[in-house]
Amino acid sequence: MKRGIYILSLILLISNLAMAQFIGKDGVSKALFYLQKSELDSAKKYIDEAALNEEENKLAKTWYYKGFVYKELYKNKEKDDKNSTYRLEAISALENLLQIDTVKEFTESASKMLNYLASTLYNDAARSLTPQHYEEAQSNYAKYKSTMLLTNPELNFDAQDVKFKLALASMLNQHAEQENKLDSINVHKIKSIYEDVLAIDADNGSSNYNIGILYYNEAASIINNMDYDMDLESLDKLQDVCVGLFHKSEPYMLKSYELKWNLKETLLGLVNIYHGLNDLEKEAFYKKELEALNDKND
Amino acid sequence: MIHSGFKPGGVVDTNAKIKAVFIYNFTKYIEWPKAYKEGEFTIGVVGESPLYSELTKMTQTKKVANQPLQVKKFNTAEDLSKCHILYISRDKSAQLSSCIKALKNNSTLIVTEDNGLVDKGAGINFIIKDNRQKFELNKGNVERYKLKVSSNLEALAFSVK
Repeated sequence: MKRGIYILSLILLISNLAMAQFIGKDGVSKALFYLQKSELDSAKKYIDEAALNEEENKLAKTWYYKGFVYKELYKNKEKDDKNSTYRLEAISALENLLQIDTVKEFTESASKMLNYLASTLYNDAARSLTPQHYEEAQSNYAKYKSTMLLTNPELNFDAQDVKFKLALASMLNQHAEQENKLDSINVHKIKSIYEDVLAIDADNGSSNYNIGILYYNEAASIINNMDYDMDLESLDKLQDVCVGLFHKSEPYMLKSYELKWNLKETLLGLVNIYHGLNDLEKEAFYKKELEALNDKND
Repeated sequence: MIHSGFKPGGVVDTNAKIKAVFIYNFTKYIEWPKAYKEGEFTIGVVGESPLYSELTKMTQTKKVANQPLQVKKFNTAEDLSKCHILYISRDKSAQLSSCIKALKNNSTLIVTEDNGLVDKGAGINFIIKDNRQKFELNKGNVERYKLKVSSNLEALAFSVK
């Protein structure tokens, strides 16, 4: 009997000790307890409670650990998910932390986490540059930039923006060409990306050249698809449209020429544009230059 | 992230295609004598011109009334044979008078593309106005070959002489 009472007392003591560790403790401490045991779902449960608690959500550590727990959840469960909500939640928590961590207790460590999360967004953006997922790529690239700005508001993304947009435009164009879907909607979409690049860097050769070619190809496609049966009044109207497009193409191609970007193709573009504009003198001028370049390269 | 440029999609000579559309339209507004309404409808091209291959492409899908189209290339006026339309390319403009002599007893619409040729015997001459292709018509030069010109063609010409 005495032995039975002893065992029962021992069991009660052990279970009380287990419960006792939480008595009077806050959500963050409970979350940390589970975090140390790598029980991320339980850690999430308590850190979420802490973040909703009026007292605890005023503390920097609450948001730091929320960021940490969610970053770990992302790494362990959603690493391959380009739209991971854990990652976004981690960034959001760390953003809150930076706002309230006035003594900079957690700022350095949080910055490292943010930079890591930003790098995953950038890599996902690069991986999503496909015809099917490019909107995801744009979204992740925008999130990458906003995340980087949290820790370094002075960062300048111009060079990276140019690189990203050129890759995007090139991919969309190649896909549309392959699928024979270089229609006005796609052309407009691609052209506007190149125009975005020129807004950043007016001397970008690739964008100038490609906008020039897009306008040229639009006109050439109209002419290519003309029926021989077309009446002369309609032909006149279409000539107006095409001359307008050739004129739009001209300044971009001339800029590419000025920049000596992809010179051989640029000269070919100018020859074609002036041919389309029936400007024999200019066509001959650029043709001569193209021939000279070809001779030099032979 | 890489990017690449792309090339002009100019599988067609834009000017030649537009000229071909003009020429096909001329066949609707000009009437040839009865003897020319049978057999193949022949378009001759003097000199090297991208129009030759464009017209050749046109023969694959188009007819003039019930006449199948054919295109012939001539190097000089001496080589000329019967054709309904003769196009003299710019670089062969100097051969216009020889061509006129060679075609004296034919019913051929002579089409050129150089300044002033409509005053030197061409029936129709392509000109450039504001970067666009237009045509001048010399009705007398057309009718000299026993061809009838529709008044609609006169209305569509940039100038009529």
